[in-house]
Amino acid sequence: MTTAEQTISTDATGPTGGHPPWLIAVIAWQAVVAVVAIVAAVGLATGVLFDFSGVGLVVTVTLTLGVAAAAVYAIPHLLAHRNRGRSVATLLQYTILVLGLIAAIQEMGLFRGIDALASSYRDAWYWTLLVVLGWIIYSQAERIKSAEKAIQRVGRYTMAGGAIILTIAVGVIPGTIEFARRLLDPEVIGLTVFAVVSGVMFFLLRRSAATDLFETTVDEAEAIDGFLFVSPNVFGFLAFFAFPLVFSLFVSFTAWDGLTEITWLGPDNYIKIFSLQFASVEAGQAASDVLSEGYSQAFRFGDVIMGARDPNFWIGMRNILVFAFVAIPLATFPALVLAALLNSKIPGMKVFRAIYFIPYVAGILGVLLIWKQLYNASIGFINYGILRVFDFINAIFGTEFVAPQPEWLSDPNIAMWSIVIFFAWFMTGYNAVLFVAGMQGIPGSLYEAADIDGASWWKKFRNITVPLLRPTTFFVVSTTTILGLQVFTEPFVLMGPQLPPSGPGNATLTPVVQLYQEGFQRFNQGYASALAWVLFVLIFAVTILNFWRQRRLEGEGVG
Amino acid sequence: MTMLENKPDTDLAAEHKRLQRRVNRRRWLGYSGIYVILGIFAIAMIFPFVYMFFTSLKDTSDVFTYPPRVLPYEAETIEVDGEELPVFIIDSVDGEQREMVLVESGIEAGLFADESDLETTVAVPLEFATDTGRTVVVDGEELPIYTVEVAGDTQDLVLLRNTAVGKFVDPDDPSVVGYAVVRTAEPAERITANWGNYSEVLGIRDFDKSITNTVLITVLVVVGSLFTSIMGGYAFARMNFPGRDRLFVAYLGSIMIPFVVLIIPLFRLMVSLGWVNTLGSLVWPFIFNAYGTFLMRQFFVSIPKDLEEAAYIDGAKRWKILWSIFVPLSWPAIATLATFMFLYAWNSFIWPLVSINGANSEDFVLTIALQTLGGQAGEGPNLIFAAIVLSVIIPFTVFVFAQRYFVENVATSGIK
Repeated sequence: MTTAEQTISTDATGPTGGHPPWLIAVIAWQAVVAVVAIVAAVGLATGVLFDFSGVGLVVTVTLTLGVAAAAVYAIPHLLAHRNRGRSVATLLQYTILVLGLIAAIQEMGLFRGIDALASSYRDAWYWTLLVVLGWIIYSQAERIKSAEKAIQRVGRYTMAGGAIILTIAVGVIPGTIEFARRLLDPEVIGLTVFAVVSGVMFFLLRRSAATDLFETTVDEAEAIDGFLFVSPNVFGFLAFFAFPLVFSLFVSFTAWDGLTEITWLGPDNYIKIFSLQFASVEAGQAASDVLSEGYSQAFRFGDVIMGARDPNFWIGMRNILVFAFVAIPLATFPALVLAALLNSKIPGMKVFRAIYFIPYVAGILGVLLIWKQLYNASIGFINYGILRVFDFINAIFGTEFVAPQPEWLSDPNIAMWSIVIFFAWFMTGYNAVLFVAGMQGIPGSLYEAADIDGASWWKKFRNITVPLLRPTTFFVVSTTTILGLQVFTEPFVLMGPQLPPSGPGNATLTPVVQLYQEGFQRFNQGYASALAWVLFVLIFAVTILNFWRQRRLEGEGVG
Repeated sequence: MTMLENKPDTDLAAEHKRLQRRVNRRRWLGYSGIYVILGIFAIAMIFPFVYMFFTSLKDTSDVFTYPPRVLPYEAETIEVDGEELPVFIIDSVDGEQREMVLVESGIEAGLFADESDLETTVAVPLEFATDTGRTVVVDGEELPIYTVEVAGDTQDLVLLRNTAVGKFVDPDDPSVVGYAVVRTAEPAERITANWGNYSEVLGIRDFDKSITNTVLITVLVVVGSLFTSIMGGYAFARMNFPGRDRLFVAYLGSIMIPFVVLIIPLFRLMVSLGWVNTLGSLVWPFIFNAYGTFLMRQFFVSIPKDLEEAAYIDGAKRWKILWSIFVPLSWPAIATLATFMFLYAWNSFIWPLVSINGANSEDFVLTIALQTLGGQAGEGPNLIFAAIVLSVIIPFTVFVFAQRYFVENVATSGIK
């Protein structure tokens, strides 16, 4: 029987048939929840319950008052057997169940328990190999068509067996005992009981008896189901994305070291970031003689000094823009050419594609440490290679060029170029694979038609590949730009530890490096948040500009 | 008749063959051009890894050589009378260059040079030189001239100063001897493989623990984010609930927000929850993933509706429909998301740098352990490179088996 039919069949009894005992229990529990929530809100606001202050206080009080309001709101609807009451109560009880259990788990310290898990995993990790083996058997089964099903089964059992042994080996039994022991804490018991009662109410509200009583339609049922399905994601999204985002915006208007009280500043952080002053100097004058108090020199153009309250911000901006203008074309154009070559229908292309992907798979940190050795000015391969190339040229042409041996990582004029070269190297293969994926979406018939017309490789590339690849190009350029504007790991690893990540003479000071230094070394977390928002606006503006340009080009292509 | 008829045919066939050959030749010319360009780039991509691997097998003494070399070498030794003796490349007395072992050192010798060319010197034991009694004045200094045996014949050379040499013997033919200053003699080397670097690096600074920590974290993040993404993606693709589309737009928008905006508040959140400096801070925030939800939603939308409607009429619950119909159909998308999350969790750096940098090294993940190791001046590059090799083994292995999905992951993100 479908839900719609059930609704029709119960239509005759109507809301006048009295309240079944389970509904009375639900309504009573709603009332309890409302009272507890109000008491909790008062307790929080007066500081009796926990010791929240500032943002924490606002968030928790709003939350508890919201719970109380929802609980109260649902009661009359429940009494009238209206479905709205069922919906609100279901979601409320579910939320209490989830939040209550999360609070209990947090109270037990189980979220931090991954550390304990990690230490027992150290002695049992090899069972992971059994799971992996099972997965390999399972995934390779399709190669042997005759016994595919049997092999898949073997693979699945191996995976399951490995997982079970692994769970026992990492200590699921002592873990459970420890869990039970921590459950005995009164606060934990309270939270758990409260959550479990809400869980029972949630279950009562979900039964088909409730569907009959409240005459829930299919659409209304689907709405609740939808909320429940999306809920794990939404809870996480709110806690780890939406709340931090709002909080970050709030903090950017304050002065805060992360420990003591937050001081509201208004837009001062932003004003400080953008404060500029230009002054001309005469011979013998120092920058501090001509700039106002609080300003220091960011750049100097001849006789004109550009002063700023935060010169580092402007230096970072200059660095990142120079970086972006050079590194992004270097990371995309060669990739496009490589992709066009990789897209030829000749053997071995898959091998090359895999090779180009290796830096991305290896991970930026290891690769950076390798490059740090390659960049070594006295014994690195790059300088040695330059020397050999010059020797070769000199030997052939009889010239006497002197090979440059740059101090790649400690020369202020070169340090940023080292990062540019690395970035281009790191991104080229990845972008090439992206371009190939885009090219495979271009219909082959176009090239065949061009072949009949006798078009050259370059003509085909210019007139078919490039225009039809525009969406991919847009994506590649956007992601490369977004990554490029956030360059941090490169200077951090390449410069350190001999130099700070800002490099020699602030040569590699990028906005994210500045943010890291302000936020986590000087603990100006309010100011660092403001820097983060300025960077975000910059990235957003560049992406929109990209998007707009792509749209315009697309328009031209159509017209 | 037949000949007349056949002749044009064979001509045509030959012409066709010739043309075919020419086309083939031109094609192969084009191919080899492509291969050369791709090959150059491939070498540029792979060289750092080849260098990494071989350097990880070097002895500490072999790391700082100039010119730099790729392969690991060690000083060659030969066992003579139960003793391991170092081998050097020496000009023997008969003037030939040989690999010889050092048998005796500290022999009194003189550094001799020709009167006309004082730059080219030769060290010869004094027992092979006889004083002529003559002298010569060089730079205001009176130096004696000796008759010296060099490479089989005798010469009159100026004694610049006294020195000490070692006596070298050809191990194959002990009658062949040579003398040279030990300090400047060129040692003979052979290719080696010092696997001990790996056991050493696993022992220092809990690097082995960093590996298991990273494996654990990665598994938890991959499994957790797959679960929430599949649930959320299904709800966005197939279920109607108030505010769905607005919520979805918010999700899409969140992909655009750079992570740096969230670092500080997320760090504060970790502090207030007491998760800072614990591995939990690397797991829980990252199992909720807007990108993954988006990816799964796009895939689910493309699955025909008839499939689930049949099951729905049979009374199957949505939960069952999702896991028994949608998930089995979506393996490619799930595998793609899994590889994406795998790389994300395995390689994340800035967040662990902030959130667990204060932890003791037992709680480090690989990126932090590598960064710490790389920052220690005392550790030679050979140890650091061994650590890098250890850190890439697992991603490389996964890549070999799941290459299709890695590339697909890139391809799907391109479609977006």
